[in-house]
Amino acid sequence: MSIETIIIYGLAIGLAIVSAVVDLDKTKKGIKKGTKSFLKLMPVLIPLFLFVGILLTVVTPSFISSLLGEESGLLGVFLGLSVGSITFMPPFVAFPLGKELLESGGAYPQVAGFLVTLMSVGIVYFAAETKFFSKKSAIIRNSASLIGAIIVVGVVAVIYG
Amino acid sequence: MIAFIRRNKFLVISVVLLIIMTFIDISLTYTALENTKDQLIDMLLIVPPIFLLIGLFDVWVNRETVIRLMGQSSGLKGMALAFFLGAFSAGPTIAAFPLAMVMLKKGARYSNVLFFLMVWSSLKLPIVFFQVSQLGFSFAMLINVIMLIVFIGAALISEKFYTKEELQTFEKKAEELS
Repeated sequence: MSIETIIIYGLAIGLAIVSAVVDLDKTKKGIKKGTKSFLKLMPVLIPLFLFVGILLTVVTPSFISSLLGEESGLLGVFLGLSVGSITFMPPFVAFPLGKELLESGGAYPQVAGFLVTLMSVGIVYFAAETKFFSKKSAIIRNSASLIGAIIVVGVVAVIYG
Repeated sequence: MIAFIRRNKFLVISVVLLIIMTFIDISLTYTALENTKDQLIDMLLIVPPIFLLIGLFDVWVNRETVIRLMGQSSGLKGMALAFFLGAFSAGPTIAAFPLAMVMLKKGARYSNVLFFLMVWSSLKLPIVFFQVSQLGFSFAMLINVIMLIVFIGAALISEKFYTKEELQTFEKKAEELS
């Protein structure tokens, strides 16, 4: 279990206990509401995981490091941004991978672009994000993050290049 | 049939890909299904506390409070609160969607909710600490400061892309989904 999971369980259970002490009925109502929206939203989310599972079969760490080598240049930047945008990876896998890439001679801008888009751009989430908010909202959030990633790549290239 | 495909794009694409993989090498299919199982387990682990939080938020925090703190005229205060809620969080971005939805339902301003989502996606504090430990302070901070500036800019101009009616539909949609 990752630290993240522990934090969020601690927070939720702690608040639920406080809530139950203050007002048990209200807490029960809250749990019921939470369960209801859980059941409503899961069918939206489950097909995504099948897709992510397939994606992770193709996009392995060794595949990624083959794309982002020192001499990969502009194409490497482009590939880093693309792979980062499409793939999803938990941060506790992603950052050690980034560190390893840098240590094994990966270029800073490429790795930065990959890591930033990996965190903030989620093409895999697009369908879900559209269902929750709207297509426009999903486009705005993802493009803003992609623009941010491109700026990061530029600045890192200037400073570390 | 066509309606089914349109509604379940991801499912259909995934099944097609799985069939193609089976023809290439059946071990790929096994790996893919194995990965899916791992992803699902991870997700099912993180999801119960999120929905518990959503339920509690729904019953304890009333509409007026959300409107005052994060609503249309909450200004800088609303953005700051969105930042702190996003930063002091944990979990994948997809877990933030339902939380963001409840905020919209309670009358939070769209730009604040968008800012919350963006901060959650890449500036969560537990992740920032981990990032610093892996990539070093200056590299990690350079990335994070640039992203924060871009996110603030995006949140500030985001509503310009919408008409008033479109902005109101967010709340209705959130109401239907929760």
